[in-house]
Amino acid sequence: MSDIAQIHSTPDSEGSDAEPEEPRRRFELEETGFKEVPKRWRKFYRHWKGEGDSLGPNEVICPVCKVVIRSTREFRPGDRVYCMPCMSRMVVVRSDDGSLEAKVTY
Amino acid sequence: MQLVAGERCALAASSGLVNLAPDYPSKHFLATQTLDEARHVEIFTQRLFDLGVAKEDLESTIDRYANPNLVKFAEVLLEKVSDGDFIAGVVGQNIVLEGMAFTVFELLEATSRDLNPKFAQTLSGTIADERRHVGFGENRIGSLISEHPEKKPEIEKMQQEMSYYMLATFADVFSASGESIDEGRKLAAQQGADSLSTEWHGADLETATIEEIEGVLADTVLGEFKNRLGRIGIEYQSPSVPA
Amino acid sequence: MTPTGTASNQGDTTDTEAEPHQLDEETFYGEVRSFSFWFEAVEGYLEGRPYGYDPAMPEEQLDQQHRERIVTTLCNYCVGEAAALEAASGMVRLAPNHNSRIFMATQVADEARHLEVFLHRIGQLGVQDPEAEVQRLAHPNIVAFKARLLELVDDGDWDASVFALNVLLETLEFTVFRYHARTADAITSQILDGVVSDERRHLGFGENTLGHHLVAHPDDRARLTEMKSQLDTLVLGAFEGAYDDLGLHRDQRPQLGRDYLEAVERLGLLG
Repeated sequence: MSDIAQIHSTPDSEGSDAEPEEPRRRFELEETGFKEVPKRWRKFYRHWKGEGDSLGPNEVICPVCKVVIRSTREFRPGDRVYCMPCMSRMVVVRSDDGSLEAKVTY
Repeated sequence: MQLVAGERCALAASSGLVNLAPDYPSKHFLATQTLDEARHVEIFTQRLFDLGVAKEDLESTIDRYANPNLVKFAEVLLEKVSDGDFIAGVVGQNIVLEGMAFTVFELLEATSRDLNPKFAQTLSGTIADERRHVGFGENRIGSLISEHPEKKPEIEKMQQEMSYYMLATFADVFSASGESIDEGRKLAAQQGADSLSTEWHGADLETATIEEIEGVLADTVLGEFKNRLGRIGIEYQSPSVPA
Repeated sequence: MTPTGTASNQGDTTDTEAEPHQLDEETFYGEVRSFSFWFEAVEGYLEGRPYGYDPAMPEEQLDQQHRERIVTTLCNYCVGEAAALEAASGMVRLAPNHNSRIFMATQVADEARHLEVFLHRIGQLGVQDPEAEVQRLAHPNIVAFKARLLELVDDGDWDASVFALNVLLETLEFTVFRYHARTADAITSQILDGVVSDERRHLGFGENTLGHHLVAHPDDRARLTEMKSQLDTLVLGAFEGAYDDLGLHRDQRPQLGRDYLEAVERLGLLG
């Protein structure tokens, strides 16, 4: 993981639950070669590359279809995320090991 | 509204026919047709939304305003599909229903070209789809009919029934739309549009009466049925004229 | 480029307004279950691949045994895809709302394409009559599953059909095809990748549709759990058979049921 920088200090607490309201880092997303959704949405998803791959603070894995879901902002618990490739709606939660994961909501 | 109801019937019928198709090429074609019909349902439904129908009211609005004769037309076809009758189903869907849709869309496209070019463009796309569907109906079913001549009387009866309900639908829709057509003509005149002088199957759409347009539409569709059915070895049956 | 993208020097509004995650739920489902979404999505990964692969891709030299194994495996995939095609087409009429109806129609086209590309590939691998070969090599479990699935559709049971097709069958296919794509020859692999991309939509639709339904109708859970126990041994057996056909020893196989069990657990259908 590299090149992740905090670039502004505007508090952005929308969607977060009990976490301290520190400013969220923001990211400019680039195309990753993911083509399973219409062009305008492609940069918000990428394929998980397997062993050696890792998630950034603006990424979670879809538990339904295993695609990596991305955002232009750092994720926080309570954020809503959508997986367009499999059409699932999720919420970001803190897992037991402290990492962020997406939980499907119906 | 009637376009959505008609396309929903086409979607239900074509998807049901996938299961009944006796060979993979037919299944593949009908799968693409299912997709086409879904696209038609979607674009005509979107048009309802654009015209102010609320999304949550879609089903109740269709139930309320779908023409009862069009519903019966659909029921005759869907009964064949439900009974597992592939040959009758394809004739009903790809020759009768699609033949009707093809001609109705042509008429609507001609009348919308200047008044509502976006809708006319939408219709052009659906007409291109219907062309494939009608072609499949004739090409695939022709050989099946010759293998199963015993099916002819039942299919002819179905065609007659569907034609009757189609004419009844035309009668209802045209009698109810006289004022809106007059409005459209006035609007076209105000906008300086000249395309309503479009000639369509011998009728001048600018000056023809509602009854004349309905008559030309009915004659054109029935004429198409006669030609297409003749080519696949089915004898066209004239429907009784709705009261 | 990093997995996370490049840190931005731009302001707060960059991209945020166009983020999918900012859509309200109704707009999101309207978007992803639309015809245009489907069209633009499949155009992305199928353009220039008329039978699911790039025609310029060279054919690998396969020995006779390898070729026969692939043919047997693809034949059984075809039975699953034929089941999916027939079930999905029947389900168009059962769909309870506009978005679901449009989605099922796109799934019909997807399943027909899968069948087409697999049959084409079987033909390329030297089989004169692929359809007859499918009949000959079909595993009894997948044939039995197909019959049961179509009964559910014929009975007009939308929820059970969604479970059997979009959760059970699609999830298992998703697992097996992804694994197979990693080990198959290049052409078969590319074909499978395209199919997997479609399966993502199908299994996601299934889980989300049923999930919503079970939240509103928790009493249906017992019925679907009972049905699951009847069906999953058939499908699990069939896909274990697919691994046998591929010549994989037990310890080489990915855990076939894991994704499926995770899905049914999320739905509360583990029993």
